[in-house]
Amino acid sequence: MKLLVVEDEIKTGEYLRQGLTESGFVVDLAHTGLDGHHLALTERYDLIILDVMLPDVDGWRIVQALRAAKSTTPVLFLTARDSVEDRVKGLELGADDYLIKPFAFSELLARVRTLLRRGTAPAFDNQLQVADLILDLPKRRAQRQDVRINLTNKEFALLELLVRRQGEVLPRSLIASQVWDMNFDSDTNVIDVAIRRLRAKIDDDFEPKLIHTVRGMGYMLDLSSGA
Amino acid sequence: MARRPASLALRLTVFIGSVITVLLLAFGWLIERSIDRHFVQQDVDELNAVIESVSQLLSEPERAAGDEALQRHLASAVSGHHNVQIRLTDSDENLLYATPHSNLKRLAGLTSSADTIDIDSVKTWKDQGQTYRGAAVQLMLAEPMAQAPVTLVVATDIDFHVHYLDSFRLYLKLITLAACLIAILATWFAVYQGHAPLRRISAEIRRIKSDHLSIRLAPATVPVELTELAISFNDMLDRIEESFARLSNFCADIAHELRTPITNLRTQTEVALSQARDLEQYQEILYSSLEEYERMAKMVSDMLFLAQADNQQLQGERVKVNLLTEVQMLFEYFEAWADERGVALVCTGSALWVEGDRLMLRRALSNLLSNAIRYTAVGQAVTVSLLAHSSDGVMIRVENPGLTIDPAHLPKLFDRFYRADPSRQRKGDGAGLGLAIVKSIIAAHGGHIAANSAGEQMIFEIQLPRVPAE
Repeated sequence: MKLLVVEDEIKTGEYLRQGLTESGFVVDLAHTGLDGHHLALTERYDLIILDVMLPDVDGWRIVQALRAAKSTTPVLFLTARDSVEDRVKGLELGADDYLIKPFAFSELLARVRTLLRRGTAPAFDNQLQVADLILDLPKRRAQRQDVRINLTNKEFALLELLVRRQGEVLPRSLIASQVWDMNFDSDTNVIDVAIRRLRAKIDDDFEPKLIHTVRGMGYMLDLSSGA
Repeated sequence: MARRPASLALRLTVFIGSVITVLLLAFGWLIERSIDRHFVQQDVDELNAVIESVSQLLSEPERAAGDEALQRHLASAVSGHHNVQIRLTDSDENLLYATPHSNLKRLAGLTSSADTIDIDSVKTWKDQGQTYRGAAVQLMLAEPMAQAPVTLVVATDIDFHVHYLDSFRLYLKLITLAACLIAILATWFAVYQGHAPLRRISAEIRRIKSDHLSIRLAPATVPVELTELAISFNDMLDRIEESFARLSNFCADIAHELRTPITNLRTQTEVALSQARDLEQYQEILYSSLEEYERMAKMVSDMLFLAQADNQQLQGERVKVNLLTEVQMLFEYFEAWADERGVALVCTGSALWVEGDRLMLRRALSNLLSNAIRYTAVGQAVTVSLLAHSSDGVMIRVENPGLTIDPAHLPKLFDRFYRADPSRQRKGDGAGLGLAIVKSIIAAHGGHIAANSAGEQMIFEIQLPRVPAE
């Protein structure tokens, strides 16, 4: 997967490149809007991360040029100004998602993966399986090692999210937004409690443990207990 | 841009000045007219007296006898009347008598049948530089000559009157002009003086700077018309001073709130770097920093949200929102957390609709709910009631047992960075901006929120405009 990052702030750009590279992406970094504009239009990328406030060619114009050239490459824009107009403008011009600075890198990573997955056909499987955990999607049932596990509706949704995105660190804000449609930070540890309860049901009595806490970032469902 | 209205002084001066000018002109005209009439009457009286004596003379047959005698008599009849000239002709236009050096011939044709003259029948004309006033009348002669009436033309030289009137008019004009000028100047001066309190107020207002916001106008010392202005101005100052104080406190609070985490981070980093440590220790330090950064990031975004609210930039979308659905969704979200704390969640009321930004309203309710759950003791319940407050309003009441704050401080709960219990500061309860955000969101939706207490119950009541169900 090849990404383009257009970010004029040197440090931010370098850290984004490092983080994304270590997460398995190939990253091109442009420090100016002009370079970014050129790269976006000449190279093929799977996704473009765009800072809106660039000194020369701003992010809006790059998105416009890209969409004018009939490119469907997903664009995620970064903005330091959290204003409704900015967001609406970005999305109207054809950007796919936005993040407001300061953002958590785990959040960025999760959004990038969501956008990249969007292109692929959604999996309409009837069943999801990780190790000996099986989710029966139509019946909303879970079982592990042939033991039926009773989950509430939201617990099932949470588990489904973790399974579908196994191996990815899911920040709490993303979990809250995907499972409960709560698109804002809460001061509470609601997500931690929900995860703890889910763990009690699917991990406590079984081996190997599937749900892992990634300190400072979020939660991840993974077979290898290396996290 | 709208045209700037004319200055008050100019308007008043023009208005009062023109009224006074018109009045003075009318007054002058009246005086002039009446004096003129008076002179005309005087002339007419004199001419009538001449006509009277001529007619008397002619009605005495013995006097009217010979031409010589008649002429003498006529000359003497006129002689008492200074400046008066007469011309007497018979019905065949034969001159019977004319005052020497007179030229009244052209008036002879204008005979009226009357035997006296009045103001309306008298004529005024100019002849050889002199102005005359006169008229022609018909008189009957005494018996022996009474075949036909004779025509008498009388006229008087009125140059004297005309000169007097001319100079009187000139004086009148000068006086009127002077009076108008004086009146206008006096008006302007009075208006200027009348505006002195305004200039004084303006000077006082000019003294008010951001560091002297406590200055107030004294409504008792300004003219009655300006009292209202002074009072509203003072009210405005009250509001500005209050927001200014809140703003500067807010800035101070921000600095203070940021100082703590920055100190932590800095100390921690410096200590960490002061000697070599093993990998795990470094990781531990980085994790701890990460948590601190997260807190700061959240605080900054909350503060930005509030700043936007202050600048009326919280517009968001406007959709119909079912409060009951929202509360149920939030209950689902908080369920596990509340359950673990042993707190029950109860919702009463029916579906009520409001219009606004779903995300913002959800955020407001979420802040209130998490707050309520946090302060409720084990085994008790948080109750959310949805009430149709009136035909066009809804009331959302969030109540929980466990009043931990002095009721007198309830209104302060919505202040930024206010914490009922200072020791809770760094236990993950947020920065104390949650309720301030709730208030901003409700205000942006045209609503109102109040904190009350009843016994041991902590009650938040939100009023919002209601819209019909979808």
